[in-house]
Amino acid sequence: MSAVPTTGARRVDFNPVTRVAGALSFQTAVDIEGGQVLDAHALATLFRGYEVILEGRDPRDAIFVSSRACGVCGGVHSTASALALEMAFGVQPPPMGIVGRNLMVAVEDLYDRPTHLFTRVGPDYSEPVVRETNPELWERALQTPAPGRATHGFALIADIMTAMTRFSGKLYTEALGMSRRAREAYVLLGGKYPHPQTIVPGGLSAHINASDLQLMFFRVAEFFDYSQKVVAVWDDIVDFFFEADPRFREVGRGRANFIDLGLWDDPFAYDGTFEAASSWAERRWSTPGAIVDGRVRTSDARRINTGVEEFVGHSFYEDWGSGRAGGSGNGAGPNRLSARHPSNKETIPQPGEADPSRKYSWSTAARWDREPMETGAYARLWATAIADKVPHRSFIEPTGHSLRLAIPQGALPATEIEWRIPERWGALERNRAQAYALAFSALVAYENQVIALDLLRRGGPDAGVSTHYKVPKDGRQATGLWGGNRGYLSHHVTLDGQVIQSYQIVGPSTFNMSPRDDSGKPGPCEAAVIGTPLLSTANRERCIDVLRTIRSFDPCMTCATH
Amino acid sequence: MAREAAPRLGSGIGGARGGQSTGVVHVFWLAGMSCDGCSVSTLGAITPSVEDMVLGRIPALPQVVLHHPMLADDSGQDFVEPYRQAAEGTLGAPYVMVVEGSIPDDQSLERAGQFAGLGVGSDWPRSLPSARASEQPLRTSDWIWALAPGAAASVAIGTCATWGGIPAAAGNITGSMGLMDYLGVDYRSARGVPVVNVPGCAPVGDNFTEALAELLQYLEGIAPLPDFDELGRPAWQFEQTVHRHCPKAGYYEEGVFAEEPGDTECLVEIGCWGPVVQCNIVERGAVNHMGGCMVAGGACIGCTMPGFPDKYSPFYKAPPGSAISGGISKVYGGGIRRLRRMSMKSGNREPMWDNAENVPTGWGRAKGKRDPVDKVNAYFYKKLQYRGSVNHAARNKKQPLPQSRDILTQKGVDHTRHVDVLGERIRSREEI
Repeated sequence: MSAVPTTGARRVDFNPVTRVAGALSFQTAVDIEGGQVLDAHALATLFRGYEVILEGRDPRDAIFVSSRACGVCGGVHSTASALALEMAFGVQPPPMGIVGRNLMVAVEDLYDRPTHLFTRVGPDYSEPVVRETNPELWERALQTPAPGRATHGFALIADIMTAMTRFSGKLYTEALGMSRRAREAYVLLGGKYPHPQTIVPGGLSAHINASDLQLMFFRVAEFFDYSQKVVAVWDDIVDFFFEADPRFREVGRGRANFIDLGLWDDPFAYDGTFEAASSWAERRWSTPGAIVDGRVRTSDARRINTGVEEFVGHSFYEDWGSGRAGGSGNGAGPNRLSARHPSNKETIPQPGEADPSRKYSWSTAARWDREPMETGAYARLWATAIADKVPHRSFIEPTGHSLRLAIPQGALPATEIEWRIPERWGALERNRAQAYALAFSALVAYENQVIALDLLRRGGPDAGVSTHYKVPKDGRQATGLWGGNRGYLSHHVTLDGQVIQSYQIVGPSTFNMSPRDDSGKPGPCEAAVIGTPLLSTANRERCIDVLRTIRSFDPCMTCATH
Repeated sequence: MAREAAPRLGSGIGGARGGQSTGVVHVFWLAGMSCDGCSVSTLGAITPSVEDMVLGRIPALPQVVLHHPMLADDSGQDFVEPYRQAAEGTLGAPYVMVVEGSIPDDQSLERAGQFAGLGVGSDWPRSLPSARASEQPLRTSDWIWALAPGAAASVAIGTCATWGGIPAAAGNITGSMGLMDYLGVDYRSARGVPVVNVPGCAPVGDNFTEALAELLQYLEGIAPLPDFDELGRPAWQFEQTVHRHCPKAGYYEEGVFAEEPGDTECLVEIGCWGPVVQCNIVERGAVNHMGGCMVAGGACIGCTMPGFPDKYSPFYKAPPGSAISGGISKVYGGGIRRLRRMSMKSGNREPMWDNAENVPTGWGRAKGKRDPVDKVNAYFYKKLQYRGSVNHAARNKKQPLPQSRDILTQKGVDHTRHVDVLGERIRSREEI
């Protein structure tokens, strides 16, 4: 073990880390008395071999097989795969096909954000947990009026904490209910969730009529009030912790490195080509971005793609050498990408003993420009806010340092909320940003609804949902540049002779939950855990601040390893 | 919790408590080669919902103590401890094992390691073989064989855990299999039940929670063993092909087929396997009675079936059998469709409109007078329809036209506005 106990340090295993998606475990060295985490390793403990299973298959299987890599982000892989196939086949969906897919991803987010905020991270701030780990904070919460009462209805911070209690809390069960409302909207176009049955290369296999759009709209509209409420709840909780003890800003501290490819295509810009990817991706409702230490390095999806590499020095895989770099007979011709780029990668599993000094995770270490990067629903906010490039501004207004969101009236009056880029990035700020991301997605859903209704009413070819395609016989290499509900998502496919030669998936948690890379740099979540102070005044053995840190990354291990 | 904590399984067989359950049952959720999609589906269920079962809100069900990694309170050893107790037989309460995801063949790994892990070596019961180094991750597959014999029932949720699914598809390198294959043909639970299978990728959440509820009522002794089919599926959910209840089956009957994704007709020719796939998603819906693959326009790819995905690949390519059955359907369905259109010509017309020889709609240019051929057709049709009964066609002919018909004209009120908002949208009756 590398985590040799120093004075006061003891080994704590979190196997499994619960209330995350997929199989995640953390191995840590913690100085309980000193309140410090000295070392941490993130172990992805599941490998299923999707990339290997996809090799040698008919490309038409790719969407429905690759979707099944993750059932939590149960729709986004289908679209990432469709984008890759559209690039490979040279097919462009009609506007309604694109808008329909936008709607599906947006309402999928309306299921996913509440589930994350209230069934996964929420209980960490609930009455039973706060009373157990920081009884003085509970006492304070009982005395602290909630500033957002007019919006969310809770008089005291303590009332919010009670409502966040697992299963019995009102906010917990309400989130389950709202996640079901969002899924009802999803299955109108997707047929089912997870694993929608209607996403095809060239668009959708769904018939969209006025009933579908109205049924969906009434459900989306419920999220105008709900997202106001969720934002008010999390603003109150986050501000309460910071005011009670400023050291909570250090919990889960991160560097503000972000990567995202953007999400929701402009129906009149997306053409499926790699050549035009920089321009169509820039017209997305959320802007692509690679941000290092809080500064945008690029908003160009192609440059973001080029900088991605995967390392396996600490992962249960054999190194694949130079792979397909330089074009080694796959028919797709030479490429100038790094040998570590997913398009050049081969998946060669090597199961073995977990040893932090050697190999310990089934996740690769995904890096951009050799930097560990965070991604997530909050990366969408960061990249969109700073870049200030979004062309669709009916409800969304980036300012360079914040994102203003105009929420239409429901039972609550219309309002404008503003997410500001925080000075210090950490666990609580991740959660707060997730709440704003819910409002963001509701507004994107709304605007795409309006476009879809307009296309439907005007009729003609633009109202079609799919474009005919043929599977090409020659060699093709293509990439689906997309965003999961949890951020960056890319699918990389190489075809030849109408058969998949290589299929690679990089999911959000391949970045967030990555192990050390070949140069020994910890993954973003590992680094955040290592810096985290343990602020519990009671039952510190529970290491609640470690768990708060890990969960704030919204891990999805089934996306991370496939 | 208001419930008494004492285990009551096995007591009071035959509904002695009037269908009321006061027991407590633990449910251990084990995720093998899973995408967590079955867990997500289960959280989408409403009849019953997970929270209602966990909170013990349903009178006819025991309270469920759920051990699920995605929903748990504790992490690490505190979370795994009850698994250990159940495997050792010291839990003190009955339990059901639910497996999501297929089971990898990692027992065969020569070196250390696992494809799916849960807990660390120090969590493993000392009374059982297969101990591992205290700090090494344990294999999920070890927990499954350790928990299966003592479980009141073992349930496989989803196509991976039931039949193998995608992790067991051609080219896999993990040796994955379904729960029945792993436990063997002779497996019976502590209460004598073979593996129960609720397939689907992902399954309809309500299929699972409903089957679990039925099973719990049986285990509680307040209901008979549910009707499972020869593969352990809830028979009432899976005995029909999805095509039989498909909203597009009527198109098939009339021999009209979709040519491209997005068309509204029967999807068989663009790759739908529905006529030979056992599933109930089109009648039950995917969530809260909404959605369903073909309801939305998606072709069935057989995701509830053994052999998925390979036996249904390539997706969105017409199944070979459809050339024969679809061809036949086009011939006889085409005839049926024409006959129906003929009948429909006299439909969409009130008897009063026939008498007045006028259709009072501003939306279409409907002919007031009917074609003589249509009239003759309708005459003989009605003759057959009303034979042996009352002839309403004849009675309606004698019905006088109401005096206040077309009231605005009669009163001399100006009511025709010359603003044309319809334009080309005015259709002739024949198109309707």
